[in-house]
Amino acid sequence: METMTPETRPAKKLERGDVQRAFWLWTFFSHANYNYERLQGTAFAQAMTPIIRKLYDSPDEIKAALKRHLVFFNTEPNVGGVIHGAVIAMEEQRANGADIDDDAINSVKAGLMGPLAGVGDSISQGTITPILLSIGIGIAAAGQPLGAILYLVLEVGIMLALAYFMWMQGYDRGREGVTTMLRSGLLDRVLTGAGVLGNMVMGALTFQFVTIYLTLSWNIDVGGGQTKLFDVNQDLLGAIMPGILPLAFTLFTWWLLARRRVSPLWLLVAYVIFAMLAAYPFFGPAGDFNYCQSLLNPFFQPGAGCPPPPAS
Amino acid sequence: MTRVNASPLAIRVTALVTTLLLGALIVAGPTLAQDGAEAEGTNDLIRAALVGLGYYLSNSPWLFGNGGFFGLYRPLVAGFFVGVIFGDPVKGAEIGASINLLYIGFISAGGSIPADPSVAGWVGTALAMASNLDAATAITLGVAIGLLGTIIFFTRMSVDAVFAHWADARAEEGDISGVARANWLWPQIFLFVISFFPAAIAVYAGSNAVGDGIQWLSNNAPWVLRGFQIAGGLLPAIGIALNMRFIFRGSAIPFYFVGYVFAMLIGGRFFPGVTAPAIGTIVVTTAIVGAAAAWIFVSVSGSRSSEREA
Repeated sequence: METMTPETRPAKKLERGDVQRAFWLWTFFSHANYNYERLQGTAFAQAMTPIIRKLYDSPDEIKAALKRHLVFFNTEPNVGGVIHGAVIAMEEQRANGADIDDDAINSVKAGLMGPLAGVGDSISQGTITPILLSIGIGIAAAGQPLGAILYLVLEVGIMLALAYFMWMQGYDRGREGVTTMLRSGLLDRVLTGAGVLGNMVMGALTFQFVTIYLTLSWNIDVGGGQTKLFDVNQDLLGAIMPGILPLAFTLFTWWLLARRRVSPLWLLVAYVIFAMLAAYPFFGPAGDFNYCQSLLNPFFQPGAGCPPPPAS
Repeated sequence: MTRVNASPLAIRVTALVTTLLLGALIVAGPTLAQDGAEAEGTNDLIRAALVGLGYYLSNSPWLFGNGGFFGLYRPLVAGFFVGVIFGDPVKGAEIGASINLLYIGFISAGGSIPADPSVAGWVGTALAMASNLDAATAITLGVAIGLLGTIIFFTRMSVDAVFAHWADARAEEGDISGVARANWLWPQIFLFVISFFPAAIAVYAGSNAVGDGIQWLSNNAPWVLRGFQIAGGLLPAIGIALNMRFIFRGSAIPFYFVGYVFAMLIGGRFFPGVTAPAIGTIVVTTAIVGAAAAWIFVSVSGSRSSEREA
């Protein structure tokens, strides 16, 4: 504190460009050396290199700063950039003599990285990505490869904009500002809205891509020597609600994963085995295979009997 | 996330086994692949190398960071580029989109991944295209390959810890550039070796094997192929449900059903009289209506912080 006078120690000011250089280093290389011991630890240090170069001159200070930022660190790289922004602001104050020790910087990093990983993953991986992916998949699956490009451009553009915004917010507002922002409820509102949009898109996706067609049908005697084909898919389930089976199946899957804590891996294996059983021709000879000999059918055949398989 | 639960011994054993496996692949790959037609050989090799390069890039930092993990890493994007490599972007994007359905709820947190979407997208689409599979069948193939891909991720996460210690040593000398290099350079060389070669070899050597396998199945047990197609209709439910774990809660729950019924109404699959719009517009239209619904919902209700974390 006593060395703060301009005469003994000129103020060290970071340019906007230094903060931006650090931003790009982090944005590019946050997961370049992702590992079980430090996770993004070395990436944090690399992102801080332009700052360290600018703020510290003596070898001891440089050494200490490098070691300070090589410790374990892990957060969501785009939203979590707010931490880096705040830490850069703290380093700048420290280099100018403010009373900020290693513990203060470490506690900001360690204290914020967990919550921001949670919020950040919910935003970037949990909502933005699935929503944009759904749109891209919906377009691409219909034979328009444009869907893939659209996803790529929108996703990367939004992520970069979000990351830059958070980073600069962190630097401009500092550690108190970050805490205030986290408490303001803005992120909650964004997440709530994204949850509504995400649920609607997931509903549409369920309709478009989850397909289950029961091929149970039999002739029932309607009297007077007449028979009528009764198709479970159409005449029973369709009468309750069209498309109830894929919807129920997806909700059942959600219940298993979210409520029963079934591992997705087991579920994958179980569903593939189930699909095999459902395709096995229990109801007829395996030799001349046609489409009504098994429990499920990959194609929609509303009460149309059992046509031969389409040529592939 | 900050949880890391992998015991050091397990890491070492896995790293050793994987290194041996990958080494064996590198040595044996070209021999395995030799039964392909001679004239096609060079083209196949170039395609396989491009797929391997794409797979490496999807895990690399070079495309603004986000262009890797949020871009090429996704089977939708990977499938498109594999389609370009194989001369049919439409088919590639279709297959990639199908495989991506499974990973729509994919989240990597705390240094763990449930499966590797990028290898499923790059290698899975390439094998499916080389074997002329349809999109629904390709999903099951993608599942299997995606699970194998976690081995590469696990190896990388284990071995990269070494470079963190290199960084420590550089820091001790006050070598700023050395610390930076320990983060961006050396790990990337290692990653290139363990991702490019296995993927390229798998595509080069695997194309014939997968094609032959499918041919054998269609001659001897066609119901298995039907099983793959049925699985192609069931497995997207897992991808969707994985994402729903995060968003299907609280006051947002009804909107899932609204979305489903809305898509059904405009999709018209269950109403023979209704003319269905082009299928690609279903999700897009729902998303537009969903954005409007989200806006209104947030304006009316304000934040719902208590429901975010259950």
